[in-house]
Amino acid sequence: MTTAVDDDLWSAVGDPTRRRMLDLLLSQGSGTATSLSEHLPVTRQAVAKHLAVLDRAGLVHARSAGREKQFHVDETQLARAVAQLTDVGNAWDARLRRIKTIAETIEKKRKP
Amino acid sequence: MEHGSIEREIHIDAHPDVVFDVISSPEHLREWWPDEAEYPVEPGGDGRIGFGGSWVRFTVVDASPPRHFSFRWTHAEGETAAPGNSFLVVFELEPTATGTRLKMTETGFRERGWDEAKIAAEYADHVTGWDHFLPRLPACAAKLGATR
Repeated sequence: MTTAVDDDLWSAVGDPTRRRMLDLLLSQGSGTATSLSEHLPVTRQAVAKHLAVLDRAGLVHARSAGREKQFHVDETQLARAVAQLTDVGNAWDARLRRIKTIAETIEKKRKP
Repeated sequence: MEHGSIEREIHIDAHPDVVFDVISSPEHLREWWPDEAEYPVEPGGDGRIGFGGSWVRFTVVDASPPRHFSFRWTHAEGETAAPGNSFLVVFELEPTATGTRLKMTETGFRERGWDEAKIAAEYADHVTGWDHFLPRLPACAAKLGATR
């Protein structure tokens, strides 16, 4: 597990088109650059580049089937990505709730 | 949205002056986040925050009461806080009829390698404060939630 790989993972899930591709692959079980591009407002070539990013991050794996590679989602890796994002987000939610409570308590004391 | 950022917005029934003080002063910071906090509340103010005996670098980027407070944290000892070596937290305060709308954005995960928390959890004896701290995030959140 190197930092370079983790950078890839972070930026891979940060892109809306790639998140949409992951959704499509999850709902369809698998897909090719061609089949995915039919559901997205980008070219097959652009989809292939996005798939390469996802592949490098370990979020999808390819099987050679016929003329085109068939991609499917690595659900373990995806769960890891989601869990990390959720952890940091949850921590900030709790901090902000605490900030709200403290500030509102001070405000009430200021007003007689 | 920038890749790898966390954005939150919350409404607080308190004057922006009060909210600014709560988010920026070391005394109040200790109430909602670290165990210890030592830094001057001024642009460039350099200091540290502590979690259970481990210290993490903390540098104020901008402090413009009562509208804006931002800081960088987790940069290594001997380094100047900058994109790529730290996380940037930005608070923006907007007055409303009944109080303050507080926006928080934290960025820098992508640059840092987003999964370092995972690494730290697995190799708990890493030497930097950053590595010691991140595994505590969920516990910290739970603690804050419990005392809320």
